[in-house]
Amino acid sequence: MSSQSKTAEQSVASGAANFLRNYYIYFVLVAIVALLSLANLDQFALFERGNFLNKRNIINILRVSAPILVVAGAFTLLMVSGYIDLSIGSTMGLTAVIYAMLAINGMPFVPAFLLTMLAGAVLGAINGILVVRLNITPVIATLITLSLFKGIALLLVQDGVSAIKSGGGLKMPAWFNDYGRDGVFLKLPAAFWVAVAVTLVLIVVQNRGKLGKYAAATGGNPTAAKLSGINTGRTVFLLYVIVGVTAALAGIARSSFMSLGDPLSGDGMELTAILVVLLGGTAFSGGEGRVLRSFVGALIIMALTVGMLTIVPAYYQTLVIGAALLTAAATNHLVSQKGKVS
Amino acid sequence: MSSVTDTLPSGPTRSKMSDEGFISSLVAAVAISLFLIASLLVPNFFQWQNVVNLVTNNWAVIALGVGVSFLLVSGNFDLSVGGIVALSGVLSVWFAQSTEGANALSTGLGLPYGLAIACALLGSLAIGALNALFVVRFGIPSIIVTLGTMMVARGIAQVITHGSQRNTNLPDAFGYLGNLSLFGTSIKFPVVLMGLLLVVAIFVERKMVFGRITYWIGANPEAASLSGIDRARHITKLYLFSAGIAGVVGILLASEYKSGFSNRGLLMEFDALVIALLGGVAIAGGFGSVIGMFFGAIILAVVTSAATGLVLSPDWQFILKAVAVFLAIVTQTWALARRNK
Repeated sequence: MSSQSKTAEQSVASGAANFLRNYYIYFVLVAIVALLSLANLDQFALFERGNFLNKRNIINILRVSAPILVVAGAFTLLMVSGYIDLSIGSTMGLTAVIYAMLAINGMPFVPAFLLTMLAGAVLGAINGILVVRLNITPVIATLITLSLFKGIALLLVQDGVSAIKSGGGLKMPAWFNDYGRDGVFLKLPAAFWVAVAVTLVLIVVQNRGKLGKYAAATGGNPTAAKLSGINTGRTVFLLYVIVGVTAALAGIARSSFMSLGDPLSGDGMELTAILVVLLGGTAFSGGEGRVLRSFVGALIIMALTVGMLTIVPAYYQTLVIGAALLTAAATNHLVSQKGKVS
Repeated sequence: MSSVTDTLPSGPTRSKMSDEGFISSLVAAVAISLFLIASLLVPNFFQWQNVVNLVTNNWAVIALGVGVSFLLVSGNFDLSVGGIVALSGVLSVWFAQSTEGANALSTGLGLPYGLAIACALLGSLAIGALNALFVVRFGIPSIIVTLGTMMVARGIAQVITHGSQRNTNLPDAFGYLGNLSLFGTSIKFPVVLMGLLLVVAIFVERKMVFGRITYWIGANPEAASLSGIDRARHITKLYLFSAGIAGVVGILLASEYKSGFSNRGLLMEFDALVIALLGGVAIAGGFGSVIGMFFGAIILAVVTSAATGLVLSPDWQFILKAVAVFLAIVTQTWALARRNK
């Protein structure tokens, strides 16, 4: 009798925990937006007519969010499979430089865009080879490429200049800005809509596609996945390539937005990506996580960082992101209640 | 009595070196050969003073490498050390600055220097405790935790210095420790301290229960727990130890430059990890040595200073580090596999 009521209580509790786990991220987004909307932003030049929910402000935030929004989904799938890529910031920086170099030397938009995506795929494939073929631990393999890609990007930019930009007889083409800034639909630029499209595709891949199922199986139990005939090596390799391509899209978006190819423009992106994916409730151990929730996580972080700039000086940013990372990790742990590791 | 020796397997006449000893000697041999190669290529490289400089210029990273290596051996990352170096330096400056400054950045808490560095050290240990709390109690992967605490530590340093540095209104005693020369030579106090730390660390690692438990935990966490080792407590100690070293390094660097700079120690966590990996410390835990890490640091120092001597652009250092770590990992795996075939 008492045991029955206890199990009923437990199921209510686990139902509530499930509900929290599935939807808490949306509440966090609403809470942060509400909080920032209440703050008085009148005196800040960044936002016109001082309202966080002002249309121009929202457009502004979504425009600068394009890079993290486009990588969040692929990064989620990689973490679901139990792997990590610390090199995405450097991949972004290097592809931004490549894209800007192609454009400034007169290549039209479409080939430059496609070639840069191809470069991203190659960089992702290098990660994949190090991890899958040479069996180097993902953290170390991608730290190696973090350093390598950053070094190449810095070398591509000649001495004495900090980034690829107009000057020295070369001029950025007029269209260079359009992709990241020019409103094409609902006043939002193509970069943002590409991020939405990539996310939608990855949601379908996760829910319906083989790759999504394989990724979850690889992360959940690699041995079982292998035994049931899944080529886990190929799955992981493919995921690294996809992450590389999305990082290239992020690099294009960032360099188009800033109208220069800055080798350091992706610095810290890996941290933001981890933060965003953790916010979305992806388990560190792999096997669980949703692309859509990471997308929402990315919106939260961008609303928070851009909104915060209007309230406190910029030098609070590192502290807040670090604290958010730890909080997200702790919340993730408390909500999922996975056992202790050590 | 003779039965004991009889039961021992009759191995080769030469006693077999341990795998760790093998890798350490390999790393040392590579370090020395790289130095000789660099001496052929770079003019004025082959000098006694240059050998001394290779060590003394890198005392900070080598000291951090000790704590990082111990943690790696136990199977955990510590990427927070660079942030802690910035934090403890900035804290020591802030605590020691006198209370009547002309502006916000030149006004501190006016504590006596001894108390100021003690409090700064406590601040560093707090970050170490935070690492331990998240890794041990919550079971969150150490790479994510220590990336977070690195940002928190550096973030606090940035808030205290408003994103730049504090260097005014300091007591005279502040610059003493970091610039103190010992034995009438150019060898500074921090370098001697690093040397002492190395010796103590090697002794602890080889001869003391504490060191052996660290290996045990890294090699087989389950077995370690089952044989009654309190893993949580041990890893907590290791994080406090590593954060403490980083705190002292930060305080000494702040003293050397007489300033607390929020960007000091940038990428030092990365370099400490790189020298440990170059020195053969295994990321999976349970394998590696402080001596290897030391020679790993020499390899990195030779490579980077030779590159500077060959007038390569400083941008090359990222590629050189990547290639060095890659080669180190691949060769060590290959050498060990071949040896134990």
